[in-house]
Amino acid sequence: MSQFLLRKFFHVTGILLGVTLITFLLMHAIPGNPWSNYSSSPRALLNLGIDKSLQQNLNHRFGFDLPLWRQFTRYIIGDFEDDGSFFCGAVCGNLGPSIQQQGRGVSDVLFSPPEGKTFRESRFGYSIRLVLFGSLIAVGVGIPLGVLSATKPKGTRNRISVGLAALISIPNFVLGLLAIIVLATGLHIIKVLPNWNLPGSWVVPAIVLAIMPLANIARVTQSTLLNITHEDYVRTARAKGLTQLRVMLVHVMRNAIVPIITYLGPTLMEMFTGLLIVENLFSFPGFGQEYWRAVLNLDYPLIMGLTLIYATGIVLVNVLIEMLSEILDPRIRANKIQGLQR
Amino acid sequence: MTFFPWKRALRSPTVWISLAVMLTFGLIAGLAPLIAPHDPYTGSITQPRLPPMWVQGVSHPGIPDYPLGTDRYGRDILSRLIFGTRTAFFLALTAVPLTALIGTFIGLIAGYIGGRFDAWIMMFTDMIQSLPGIMFVVIIVLIFRSLLTPTWFHGLVTLVVGFAAINWVNLARLIRINVLQIKHNSFIEAATAMGASPWRIITHHLLPNVLHVIMIWIINNIPAVILLEALLGYIGVGLTSAGDGGEFTVVSWGGIFFSGRSAINSNPLMLIIPSLCILLISMSFILLGDFLNGITHPDQGTE
Repeated sequence: MSQFLLRKFFHVTGILLGVTLITFLLMHAIPGNPWSNYSSSPRALLNLGIDKSLQQNLNHRFGFDLPLWRQFTRYIIGDFEDDGSFFCGAVCGNLGPSIQQQGRGVSDVLFSPPEGKTFRESRFGYSIRLVLFGSLIAVGVGIPLGVLSATKPKGTRNRISVGLAALISIPNFVLGLLAIIVLATGLHIIKVLPNWNLPGSWVVPAIVLAIMPLANIARVTQSTLLNITHEDYVRTARAKGLTQLRVMLVHVMRNAIVPIITYLGPTLMEMFTGLLIVENLFSFPGFGQEYWRAVLNLDYPLIMGLTLIYATGIVLVNVLIEMLSEILDPRIRANKIQGLQR
Repeated sequence: MTFFPWKRALRSPTVWISLAVMLTFGLIAGLAPLIAPHDPYTGSITQPRLPPMWVQGVSHPGIPDYPLGTDRYGRDILSRLIFGTRTAFFLALTAVPLTALIGTFIGLIAGYIGGRFDAWIMMFTDMIQSLPGIMFVVIIVLIFRSLLTPTWFHGLVTLVVGFAAINWVNLARLIRINVLQIKHNSFIEAATAMGASPWRIITHHLLPNVLHVIMIWIINNIPAVILLEALLGYIGVGLTSAGDGGEFTVVSWGGIFFSGRSAINSNPLMLIIPSLCILLISMSFILLGDFLNGITHPDQGTE
């Protein structure tokens, strides 16, 4: 087990390093700089620009006058200040200062709550809670729906499949906007700018976020179950005279759970992507909103920090799912042990 | 010629409906200049924000000349929808096949060669999958938009590149897993024993056996690229293209939807019709994909 964890640790670090490198290169390839970008400030809009010497000072302050590879090592490992003191980079958890939000560090923007509130009220806390809520809905409704449709006769099943296809085809921003128009403007059930402290106002964003993953999970559950119900051992179980419930629970579900869980990984990633849109739609105070602002304003350290957190989340979910499927399916464990001995 | 159950396909209403929807949209896209009543780019300044033609008895009634009304620049919405179909089809027919080509190539090679090369490629795909997808399409679009010289299609090309750069990963992984399963079959061994070169094995023995995976992947991802385009329009990183009048935004469903947000009271059709178009076309592709999937897994019978 410790060997497994060690290998996973190296794998994860490698991936995160690669992700930061890709992000770093791409982000610096975007034309413009943080001081001149079209949407960065009213100044740029008015074509005032920044004073040359001031710009040089700012560049020096954020290290943009260094060569690109030095900037990367500065971000990852750290660098010397002008007075010779050393500061540590991302390896120590120092995500650097934000450019656009003056005087705040990136980790400050993401993790520190407004004054007098708990960690749950920080941008990160809000986003994580929304994703958790959404995945609960997606898994809690998706899997039962898939099981239900797999046990129904063909006609009903086809109708459910068409409905699921429709749910996948609706872009989530369309759904969210419709929800706002119908529920908020039309029926006055929810508020356009709700109080996010009330759990009730979370329901609509979470459902909008969960719809597409929900339909995907239901489809995969359905097709996996159908595949398995045609296996010989299920027929044998039926022939032995076991009840439908026992066949489903012991013989079918036990074998179906691993493919379904493997599929949950990509689906949850989709949910993280959806988060960026849903937060924007509902003006939800999570980090998705910061992300758009950071990319369009070229707030380099903030883009890096957000991508790093995002990637860490996805990688951890993947590792978790891999471990879970190993725990649930003895065959995968056996293969792995054989692979190690070979 | 491989087996295809024509009879079953012809008897399935899903297939007929899907094909009919695709064909209709295809015809609209192909004949756009002939059937569009107005130029989608130039508007009449005297007729901005017209409601649909059946809205009468208000201070600003619709006129039959503009059946679905006009946007805030006085451009005909029906014509823009018709030309938007073109954009969607252009993207579906270029971005997805290009992505499929890259993904297939890398997946086949990684699966066949295996070993350390495979491990590195998988590591790289892991990295790309850990990136937030849309954000990177936006970044790539921002980069490429400045690199390419403005032509009428350069906005679309940037989206094609962005889509391909992120989405080849899924197909490559899918194909690699399939190749790993096929590779140990005896027909591959036989081909090796007969002295077939690796390239011949890949193209003549492995590729035909993963072809159905590629087909289904393409069909399932055509909706994805149309959604992505609409999404970029929503974010406001609209696709630009340049003509003789300088840069302008490509006419697309996403763009109409985006500009419809501000016209919600005067003309809600600007939101509804593009969403319906997207819904119809992705549903028909998904259902067709389900049918094809049902052929490769005959026991499921989800058609």
